[in-house]
Amino acid sequence: MKFLRQFAAVVAVVAVVVLLGLAWNRFAPSLPGEGPGGEAVPVQGNVVKAAPHAVKLSPGGRPGAHGALRINNGGGLGLDLGDLLQPENLAVLRYTAELEAAIIAAVVIVNASYRSLRRSRRAKTGMPPPRDTDLS
Amino acid sequence: MSAPSTTPSAGTAPRRAHVAGRTKLDFWFDAVILLAYTVAYSYGFTGVVIHEWLGIGIGIALLLHLTLHWDWAIRTTRRLLDPRGHDKVIWLVNLALLFAMTLCVASGIAISRVALPELGITTLQTPFWFRLHVLTAEVTVGLVPVHVALRWRWIAGVGRRMLVWRPRGRSQ
Repeated sequence: MKFLRQFAAVVAVVAVVVLLGLAWNRFAPSLPGEGPGGEAVPVQGNVVKAAPHAVKLSPGGRPGAHGALRINNGGGLGLDLGDLLQPENLAVLRYTAELEAAIIAAVVIVNASYRSLRRSRRAKTGMPPPRDTDLS
Repeated sequence: MSAPSTTPSAGTAPRRAHVAGRTKLDFWFDAVILLAYTVAYSYGFTGVVIHEWLGIGIGIALLLHLTLHWDWAIRTTRRLLDPRGHDKVIWLVNLALLFAMTLCVASGIAISRVALPELGITTLQTPFWFRLHVLTAEVTVGLVPVHVALRWRWIAGVGRRMLVWRPRGRSQ
């Protein structure tokens, strides 16, 4: 019962965010510039993301229109899982994983340094450490 | 993999530290969401079909993830004005992530070319939703690792307890 009540609350919050998105579209349908991951380029009716800077095309991989990466499985409606393992497609996944790993590493280093600094300050002043909060 | 937990008679056999079921659920469910988002963001890897169905799955997982942590959200929101309150940065990151990921999934549904048309639902396909989808995906791919990293001590602690074998008889 509690789960259902909380689920209903979550759905309501998400619905409010979606309504804000719809209102944005209705009253101010403009957006800031594209992020560093590459612009969205419509290619023959498909939205294809430009290759990230770190991705190098293999000799077989050809850039498509407007420099967009031609995605082997991008236009097909079938689930050809064999395409996933092609080098130029794997490079895209590797780029995302490396980007996330780099951000995680940076935040962990900053967070650990900050905690270490606070702990040493607290040790000097003799203050008790704060209790950690749980996730649930 | 050996399963010492299924052989209770082995008094000296190693065992894993006890981890509460709810903690295990949080750990593995969140790991799956992270993996799914990483794969779904890599559009060039997945292609349109997997990208769209995975995105819809992430949307459902997002609802469940928020529900599982709703208590934390309410508790932390109430403590925001308390100067000694913790988790203010995490709360802000999570709020931004809520907006970015919700709009990312919603705009993805709005521009769906395969999944929704297959279900007989006509989609919007306007430039605004295309651009919003790309923008929110970029914001989300930056915020998701921050969201994960801010809980690195919890992740490391639970991961260590679940993966490290301990000799029987020793307390945790």
